[in-house]
Amino acid sequence: MLEKIKESASFLKGKVTINPKIGIVLGSGLGGLVDQVEIITEIPYKDIPNFPVSTVAGHRGSLIFGKLNNVEVMVMSGRFHYYEGYKMKEVTFPIQVMKAMGVEKLILSNAAGGMNPTFKIGDIMIIKDHINLFGDNPLMGKNYDELGPRFPSMNEAYSKRLVKLAHETGKKLGIYLQQGVYLGVTGPCFETPAEYRAFYILGADAVGMSTVPEVLAANHCGIKTAGISCITNMAAGILDTPLNHKEVMETADRVKESFSRLIRCVIERI
Amino acid sequence: MELRERIEKSTKFIRENSGFEPETGIVLGTGLGSLADYIDKEAVIDYKDIPEFPVSTVFGHEGRLILGRLEGKKVIAMQGRFHYYEGYTMQEVTIPVRVMKQLGIKLLVASNACGGLNPNFAAGDIMIITDHINFMGTNPLIGHNLEEFGPRFPDMSQVYDKELVELLEKIAASQGIRVHKGVYGAVSGPNYCTKAELSMMIKLGADTVGMSTVPETIAARHCGLKVAGVSCITDMAIPDTMTAPSHEEIVKVAESVKPRFVSLVKQFIKEVRL
Repeated sequence: MLEKIKESASFLKGKVTINPKIGIVLGSGLGGLVDQVEIITEIPYKDIPNFPVSTVAGHRGSLIFGKLNNVEVMVMSGRFHYYEGYKMKEVTFPIQVMKAMGVEKLILSNAAGGMNPTFKIGDIMIIKDHINLFGDNPLMGKNYDELGPRFPSMNEAYSKRLVKLAHETGKKLGIYLQQGVYLGVTGPCFETPAEYRAFYILGADAVGMSTVPEVLAANHCGIKTAGISCITNMAAGILDTPLNHKEVMETADRVKESFSRLIRCVIERI
Repeated sequence: MELRERIEKSTKFIRENSGFEPETGIVLGTGLGSLADYIDKEAVIDYKDIPEFPVSTVFGHEGRLILGRLEGKKVIAMQGRFHYYEGYTMQEVTIPVRVMKQLGIKLLVASNACGGLNPNFAAGDIMIITDHINFMGTNPLIGHNLEEFGPRFPDMSQVYDKELVELLEKIAASQGIRVHKGVYGAVSGPNYCTKAELSMMIKLGADTVGMSTVPETIAARHCGLKVAGVSCITDMAIPDTMTAPSHEEIVKVAESVKPRFVSLVKQFIKEVRL
């Protein structure tokens, strides 16, 4: 695996002229941030040796090197989900390549369902911590000591400094931010009302099908992470009014704008 | 190779190379291998020499089977176990238990090092396992059922034998060893839990959290073995106050628990009626 990481990284180093310290993973429906990146090099996943290929509609599936608010960034536009049939180690392979490319901080975004009754559709939640309910783990198997320890601590899976920075930035921009625990499940089916209820009892505020594997791999290899969830739907039974699809889409669009502003500004201040 | 064949090959090899029929199996957890020093050894067999046996890779595990007498009782001790997080399948993790069953054991004593969740516990304490929660995301009995070992749907209403729990408690009291009773919550690892995960395990009713034991005890109950479980609490994992433990620290605390653990288990083996 180390060889594969090296091979992918050296391929990329031969193509790009910048050395970003910040990585960004863009989640479902949030790819719009890409339009604001001053793209220097864009490389489709399918051209990168050893990279899996994204199959989900709405995911661009390329690695973008460029500048966002004048800060060099490496952006994954489209991520790999466990439910697509990839192995956990394939899902997290790009993170290890990012590390090999010199990335030190990683911002991950996702779309999530909210359980916390104080949340509403369109809220942005800064991830404080996570619960891994995937039933699998990308770090199982032989440990590569060159990447990180056998038993990595997840005491600060989400960098306290970055969480604080995100909140300060939100305040400055006048963007209201929630904070909470993200619970990761395999999907691909959405949660049943009973599952939403169970996850809330377990201490989760939002649930989604990504992010946790990448955060585990990032922490293992010493990358500081920040996670941002867009609450795109609320758990069935928590809202009194039934969901209206048009409203959801309008909200998502509105979120996209504040989401982009937030990330741009956070990156500037890191 | 089929699971059944693997078990048979390993069993045959051990039988031929030891000529010994153990009655009790002991799984020695991280840092607890020294109980083996008290066994009058009849045979010592490295895992790597046993055909079809997996091989342990984790630092702190020695990886061998020790057959002999402990307090006069015929035992087989696993010095080093196989963990799911190492990349073995659940079926591989539990091959040794099934092999020990084939060798003739009636009782499995499983030990482990784990994190304490119950605020009444402290690092260095011993917990007698009264029950477990399988949160590993999988199960060693998935797949074709080996009917000769046990039923398709084995009962788990009493995994850890009540009388054995009482016996362990009684011995601990007579030796002046502080013990707790509680539920062991098993996760796959290999990363340590996040705080949110620890809070969840507490809500679910776990008193400790660890990365082993549950696969082996499930396989043991499936094939009708009695099970006793002893946890050494090597660090406290209370979400609000915890600091990240290092594997070295855990091995160090396990070291300090060792004398009490050894004394408790030795006396237990001596007194237990099979």
